[in-house]
Amino acid sequence: MQGGYVGKILRVDLSREKTSSEDLNTQWARMFIGGKGLGAKYLFEELKPNTDPLSPENVMIIMTGPLTGTTAPCASRYAVLTKSPLTGAFLDCYVGGYLGAELKFAGFDAAIITGKAEKPTYLWIADGKAEFKDAKDLSGLDIHETEKRIKEDLEDKEVKVAAIGPAGENLAKMACITVDLYRHAGRGGAGAVMGSKNLKAVAVRGHQSISVPKIEDFIALSQEITKDDVLTPDNEWAKIDGTPGFLRMVQEAGILPTRNFQMGVFEHVNKIDEVAIKKILVRRRACYGCPLGCGNLTQVKEGPFAGTIVEGPEYETLAMAGANCYISDLAAIAKYNLLCDQLGLDTISTGDAIAFAMECYERGIITEKDTNGLELTFGNVEAYIEMPKLIAYRESIGDILAEGVSRAAEKIGKGSGHFTVHAKRLEYPGYDPRGSIGMALAYAVSDRGACHLRAWPANSEAFGDLDPFTTEGKAQLVIDDQNLYSVKWSLVVCDFYAIGYPNIARLCSAATGWNLKEEDVKIIGERVWNQTRQFNVREGISRENDTLPERISKDPLKGGRAEGHVVARADFDKMLGEYYQLRGWDEEGRPRKEKLKALELVA
Amino acid sequence: MRLEILPERCTGCQLCGAVCSARLVGNFNPSRAALYIESLLPDQLVVRPYVCIHCEEHPCVDACPVEAIVEDEELGIYVVDKEACNGCGTCVDACPYNGLRLDPFEMYAIKCDVCRGKARCVEICPTGTLEVTE
Repeated sequence: MQGGYVGKILRVDLSREKTSSEDLNTQWARMFIGGKGLGAKYLFEELKPNTDPLSPENVMIIMTGPLTGTTAPCASRYAVLTKSPLTGAFLDCYVGGYLGAELKFAGFDAAIITGKAEKPTYLWIADGKAEFKDAKDLSGLDIHETEKRIKEDLEDKEVKVAAIGPAGENLAKMACITVDLYRHAGRGGAGAVMGSKNLKAVAVRGHQSISVPKIEDFIALSQEITKDDVLTPDNEWAKIDGTPGFLRMVQEAGILPTRNFQMGVFEHVNKIDEVAIKKILVRRRACYGCPLGCGNLTQVKEGPFAGTIVEGPEYETLAMAGANCYISDLAAIAKYNLLCDQLGLDTISTGDAIAFAMECYERGIITEKDTNGLELTFGNVEAYIEMPKLIAYRESIGDILAEGVSRAAEKIGKGSGHFTVHAKRLEYPGYDPRGSIGMALAYAVSDRGACHLRAWPANSEAFGDLDPFTTEGKAQLVIDDQNLYSVKWSLVVCDFYAIGYPNIARLCSAATGWNLKEEDVKIIGERVWNQTRQFNVREGISRENDTLPERISKDPLKGGRAEGHVVARADFDKMLGEYYQLRGWDEEGRPRKEKLKALELVA
Repeated sequence: MRLEILPERCTGCQLCGAVCSARLVGNFNPSRAALYIESLLPDQLVVRPYVCIHCEEHPCVDACPVEAIVEDEELGIYVVDKEACNGCGTCVDACPYNGLRLDPFEMYAIKCDVCRGKARCVEICPTGTLEVTE
């Protein structure tokens, strides 16, 4: 096997209670690297089309990359891939922490999990072997308690744990997988997939080695890149403020989702921004191998939420569960964040779902009868803080919201669909396209549904020099981002290191011994993006699923720099058509045969 | 020469363990490094490395039943003689600083030797958690 990889894949069949080890497919590794790309390839080959995501037949993959566990900076994340129960589409999540590196120290580049355990189970992976452990006593426990019990059970404090909470067990479609307490495979309901498999947790411990061809050169390269390309003004915001620093610039651009996307600015933003966070900051935290250390470990010291300790809240939590719910009490948001971590909920989708329910309540579409007596108005902390529990345990309105805003509106009716803000049923994150039009396209064509980590044109529009209200050049901008991020997520490098193709090629080559050039990794990025589209096309996804929410196309934004703007349907359609054309896809958004051939995705 | 640990600076990134193992065993394997990170989260706000700080009292030396921890006169610190060490772990228990541990595969205790002069953990640590003092 080449360097970087450990060369083995763990296969786990929960139905038959069997595990086995096999060689990593080196031909695929060469074409797709790891993480997103290699995971997408395995998923495409092994998942039967139109599989129910919550059936035993769904496949869940934990996939590392050739840099995971090495000294390469900001590069020890890993991917979790499956078919999403929320979107019915391809799902890839990227997780920091330490479990990815530990999986390689345990002797595996990846774990591919299928089937359904007969009874609650956790998987124990250690040094080239895996076994099934009884999780009966862990059922219903929150994630922090689960991790603690597993470490006690295995008598090793250094075990790394990925677990689900009550939300995942109850198949909430916004359930996440939480790893190392505060890191998450957050979006799209991967936690529900684990829940459907009766798999409470995956515990990993390893003492094996990761080799690279010339380790001294590799470390020197890691240090050189850290100095010249990581610890630079482009990335140092992560070290200084972490993501809460975004609030200010998003507010200035007028695209901070507020009151369920009715407004683009939040008047109380200074109560929840990076300055406010600094007051409760205890220390910084980093994932394996990261010199930036963006994590803010915070502690609430007074008031009704005193004692809350959490890594966060991050920007997306502050935006979706703060501004979007009109909550300006930072301690309450920290508590919400901790509850979501413990119950196993995606803080973005959950925040959006609460905001949606608040608008329903204020419009009289739902009443106290539906909310367990809660007065669910915007900004009401007492009601807000109860909502994660209702969703995770599927009680009263929580049972409906646990399905995501799109399905919730189908059930609630009364015109509520007009203000569900999602693409492919995945709730929007924190950048309103009405003041950054390229984001409308980025969300619509993102493989896993509305996501800011597949393309981020806001960086050039809302925060850069490009006109944020016009469509020209935006399709190409989205494509360029998608291709770069696709290979970045395949390596797997963290979002917060703004790496370019040259250093992707250098680091990947140094780890594997391949002689990759900038052009090679560019093609891999395009290949990976087309691979995930192929997956989605096979699941029946086409142009009609690459959507623009009504709220964004019809309701003029209130407040701030984008006041009065909508994303006009005609503008959106123009960008979408241009995007398909530039991609080499047909009018329905299906990759053309010539494109697939050129990328070696079909013979 | 001593190593000083400033635990409140540690982010838990483990780069120290990665470069240490690269020197000691020639590949990335923090479980075979001379230092390790302990996290007591979420119950306590503690994340910190443990490594031999080259203390003056060196109880490990006195505890070793086979006299395998010997003075390196050039460096002025005590190091483990891997040939003489039988991996009994008496030194690990004797150290009040959690500064030694046993190799998971071979029969010897791992003890920091400050990379014989240029401590690589100190060099790579992004937060200045580790410092060499005279």
